Amino acid sequence: MHRIKFPLVALCLLTPLRIWAGEPFHQQIDQLIEARAGGEVATAADDAEFLRRVYLDLNGIVPTATAVRTFLADKDPQKRTRLIDQLLAAPDYARRMREAFTVMLLERRTGTAVSDEDWNKYLETSFSENRPWDQFVRELFIADAANEKTRGTVKFFVDGGRADHDQMTIDVARLFLGMNIHCAKCHDHPNVDQFKQADYFGLSAYLMQSKSAKHTTLQTTFLIENVATAKVEFESVFDSGNKQQTGPRLPGGQEVEIPTFEKGEEFSEPAKDGLPGVPKFQPRQLLATHLTDPSNRRFVENSVNRFWFLMMGRGLVHPLDMLHDQNPPSHPQLLKLLADEFVAHKFDVQWLLRELALSKTYQRSSILPEGVAAVDAPPQSYRVANAKGLTPEQTAWSMMRATGVLDQVIKTPRAEDSKFTFKDYINGRIPAPDNLSDTMLLFVSVFGNPPGEAEVEFQPSMGQALFLMNEQLVLDWLKPSDVTLVGRLEKEADPKKIADELYVNILSRFPNAEESADVVSFLDENKDRRGEALGQYAWAMLTSAEFKLNH
Amino acid sequence: MIHSHHCNSSEHELSRRQVLGTLAGVAVGSGASGLLHPSVAAQLKAQQKRVLLIWLDGGMSQLESWDPKPGTEFGGPFRAIPTSLPGIHISELMPNTAQQMHHLAVVRSMCTKDENHSTGVPRILRGDPKNRGVTYPYLGAALSKLKGDPHSALPNYIWVKPGSGGFIWQHAGFLGAKYGALALGDGKPPIHINRPAEIDDARDKTRNDIRKRLNTQFRKGRREAQVDAYDYSFEMAEKLIRRKDLFADFKATELDRYGGHPLGRHILQSKRLIEAGVQFVQCHSYHWDTHGDNFNMHLDLVPQIDKPFAALIEDWNESGMLDNVLVLLMSEFGRTPKINQRIGRDHWPEAWSLCMAGCGIRKGIVHGKTTANGAWVDDTEYDIGHVFHTVFRAMGVDPTTTEYHNNGQPLPIAHDDCDAIAELLA
Repeated sequence: MHRIKFPLVALCLLTPLRIWAGEPFHQQIDQLIEARAGGEVATAADDAEFLRRVYLDLNGIVPTATAVRTFLADKDPQKRTRLIDQLLAAPDYARRMREAFTVMLLERRTGTAVSDEDWNKYLETSFSENRPWDQFVRELFIADAANEKTRGTVKFFVDGGRADHDQMTIDVARLFLGMNIHCAKCHDHPNVDQFKQADYFGLSAYLMQSKSAKHTTLQTTFLIENVATAKVEFESVFDSGNKQQTGPRLPGGQEVEIPTFEKGEEFSEPAKDGLPGVPKFQPRQLLATHLTDPSNRRFVENSVNRFWFLMMGRGLVHPLDMLHDQNPPSHPQLLKLLADEFVAHKFDVQWLLRELALSKTYQRSSILPEGVAAVDAPPQSYRVANAKGLTPEQTAWSMMRATGVLDQVIKTPRAEDSKFTFKDYINGRIPAPDNLSDTMLLFVSVFGNPPGEAEVEFQPSMGQALFLMNEQLVLDWLKPSDVTLVGRLEKEADPKKIADELYVNILSRFPNAEESADVVSFLDENKDRRGEALGQYAWAMLTSAEFKLNH
Repeated sequence: MIHSHHCNSSEHELSRRQVLGTLAGVAVGSGASGLLHPSVAAQLKAQQKRVLLIWLDGGMSQLESWDPKPGTEFGGPFRAIPTSLPGIHISELMPNTAQQMHHLAVVRSMCTKDENHSTGVPRILRGDPKNRGVTYPYLGAALSKLKGDPHSALPNYIWVKPGSGGFIWQHAGFLGAKYGALALGDGKPPIHINRPAEIDDARDKTRNDIRKRLNTQFRKGRREAQVDAYDYSFEMAEKLIRRKDLFADFKATELDRYGGHPLGRHILQSKRLIEAGVQFVQCHSYHWDTHGDNFNMHLDLVPQIDKPFAALIEDWNESGMLDNVLVLLMSEFGRTPKINQRIGRDHWPEAWSLCMAGCGIRKGIVHGKTTANGAWVDDTEYDIGHVFHTVFRAMGVDPTTTEYHNNGQPLPIAHDDCDAIAELLA
C-alpha cells in the first residue's frame, strides 16, 4: 500500500496525543502505540493465536485440547475478555507469575539458606491475593524472617548471590530502578551521563549494614542490620585523592542523615537468639519505603516497563536496565501514562496485566501486514506482535501437556530421598526424572541461562536442539502408551481426525487443508509402523518454531 | 576469582556460570582425537584460509606485554627481555612468546579512541565502520559470510568461551541469523551429542524433514530471524553429532604444553576446530580488566596466554597450518600508562598493541612505536578499521572492491576511510 503517511506521522510525533480520560485504558494504550507505528499495523490475531498467547503469558502453559475446542466454538463476542479474567483467576496464574518473577528476581541463582518452598509460597500467595506491587517490593526489602508469611522474602538477598554489598547494590539498581550502574562503581558511568558514582554509593549506603545471620532457636536465616555510624567514602579512579562521602540516598533523591546515638543507645531491641540487637536506625528498612514511594518515578517506570516486557516481548525501555536519557523509551508518553495509572490504581498488578491483555497492541497477529518488510516493523514499533521464546518452564509444562504425560508426572510423588541433579543425570548415574519438580529441574538446566544471566532475548542453542533430538525422556513421551497422545492416536482409525488431534493438542489450533493432507499422506506411507510414525510427526511439531515461540 | 573492582557489566557478556549444567561432566568417548595429520595440512594448503581470534576481554596492558617501557615513569615493575627477533624486547611475562617472535607481527601503534566497554567490545569486533544505519556483523560473522563454506560439515563461526554456550545470532548483524556464532561454553559440546540407538540416520532424517516443512510454513509472513535462528540451532546440532571426535579428551602431553588452565584448554580446543575446517574461531578469555592491582593480576594472567600462544605458533609453524590460518591476538584496548590509586591501570585506547601471525602476514615484524613513556603513538596511528582491512587482505578479500548487499544497499566490508597496514602483509 502506498499511502502518503510521512506528514501524518511527523505530525503525530510532534503533537502529544490527546487522551480522553473517559476511554478504557487499553484503548488509550492502543492510540499511543498506533500514533507512532509508522505504517499499517497487523490484523488482529485470530482466536487460536490469541488463545495460545494469553494462556502462555498468564498461565505459563499451552491450553488443553478441550480448551482450544471450546474457545474456538464459542460465539460470544466478549469471549476474549472472559478468558483473560478466567486466566487471571486460575491457580496457574499465581504459578506462572511465581516462575516469571523468580527468574527475573533471582536470575537462576540458587541457595539453601531459605527454602524454595518458603520463597514459592510467598510469591504465589502474593500474586494470587494480587498484593500491590509496591507492597510486594517493600516486603522483599523488609525481609521479615520472623513472620512466617514473609519468611521467603529473605531469599532475594540471601540466596540471590547478593551476599556482598556490591552485588546487592548492582542488582537492586538494575531490577528496581532500571539502572545498570555496575560501571559507576569505580567512576561516573563513562557513557551514561545520568549514572553517577555518587548514585552507586548512595544506594550502597542503604544496604551496607545488611547481612545474614542465623536465628539459633528457629534455625532460620535472618537479614539483620548492623549499626550505621558513618557515611560511605568513595573516590573516582579518574580523580583519585578526591574523596567524597554520602549517606543513604536514592538516585535523584535526598540524602538521609545518619543519626548518632549515645553508646548503648543505638538499639531498639537487644541482642538475642544469636542475632545482634536491632538498631534504631535501619537504612534497608528505610529503603523499602523510599524506593517504593510513588514519587520515585524510576521505580514506577521500571515496574510498568517490566510488566509491559512480560506481555509484549520488548520493553518500552530496552534493554530493561538502561532507563536513562540516552536510551529513551520508544513511547515516552505511554510510559508516563502507564506509570501514572499504575500509581492511580495503587500498583494493582492484575489490573495492569488485564489492560495490557485487552489492548489491540497485545492482540495483534504476529504475521506482518501484506507487503510490509520485517525491517519496517521493528520490535519497538509493535506493528506486529513480538514473538517471545518459550521460557524453560513454559517449555516443560507445554511439552508435557501436549504429549499427554502431564497428569501422570504431576501425580507421581517425588521420592523422599530423591537427589536428582542434572549433572548426575546427564552422566548416567541416576534414572530419568518421573515427577514434576525433578522434570522441571531438568528442563531449567537445559533451557535456562546460567545463574546471574537475565533471560530476556530468545537465544536458541544447539545444546537445546540436541536435547530435543536425543533426550530419551522426551522421546519416551512420544511413544505409544496408556497416557500419551501418541498412544491414544494410534488407536484412532480416521487419519483426518488424527491430524486434527495432533494440531489441537500440540499447536493449539486446527490444521489447514494442506497441513491435514500432509499428516494423512505421511501416515499412509508409514502404515506398517504407525505408532512410530505418529511419534515422529508429533516430535517434529514439538520441535517446530511454531511450538517454541509464543507468537 | 573475579576481582570485585572489575568493571564487568552485562555488556561484557561476562558469564558468572560455574562449570555446570549442560556443559558439566561431559563424558565423550576417546575416539579419534581430531588432531591434524601432516597430509591433511597439505590438503588444507590448497583450501580455505581460516582465522583464529584470541580475545582477551577487558584489555591486556601493552606495557606488561608487547610494548614494555621498563625504568620509565609508567613502566611498572617488570623487565623487558630479548626475543628471537634481534633488537626486539617484550615483557618478561612472555618468555615463551619471546622465542616465537620471529613468526609474529606486532603492531604497537593502535589508537582506537573509545574507552567504554559497553560500546567498546561490539564496536571493535564489528570493525567500527561508518554509521550507515545498519548493525554490522562481528569479524567472525563477516568472514563466515565472505570466506566460509556454506556446505561445510561444521559451523563456519564457533566461539569458544568460558561459561555458557548457545547460538549467538546477534553477532551476525544485518547478514542474518545463520551467520551468528555457535558458542561452546567452556569449549565443550553438550552431552546430548549422543543419539539413542533407536534413532538411526534414516529415522532422524524423516523426523527432521517434517520439522523443516513445518518451519517453512510457519516462516511465511513472519519475522524470519527467530525462526531461522531456531532452525539453525538444529542444523548445527546435526553437524556436530557427526563430529563428536573433535571433543575427545586432550592428551596429558598437550595439556602440559598448552597449560591445563581454561585458556590453555580453550586454545587447544580452538586449534582442533580450526584444523577440522572451521572457518573462524573466536577464543575468549575474560577478566583482563585490571583497574586495581594491575601488576599482580598481569603476573597471574599473562603467563596464561604466553604459554599456549607460543605453543600454538610453534606447532602450527611446524605443521604448516600457519600458512593457512591467521592468528589474531588482541583486546578491545590497552591500559593507561598512568597507574591509579588502586595500583591499577584503566582503559586506554590511545596507544596499545596487538599481534598477528600466519596466513598472509609478514613474519618477524614489529610495526609502529609509542612515545618514550608509552602514553601516545609516536608514529602513524591505526584504528580497528585498518586491522579489518589487513585481515581481509590477508584472507585474500579485497576490501576496497568487495561489498555486502543488504536489501539492495551496498555496504563496504570495512571502514571506507581506512586501508590495510601494508607493512604487515606478506
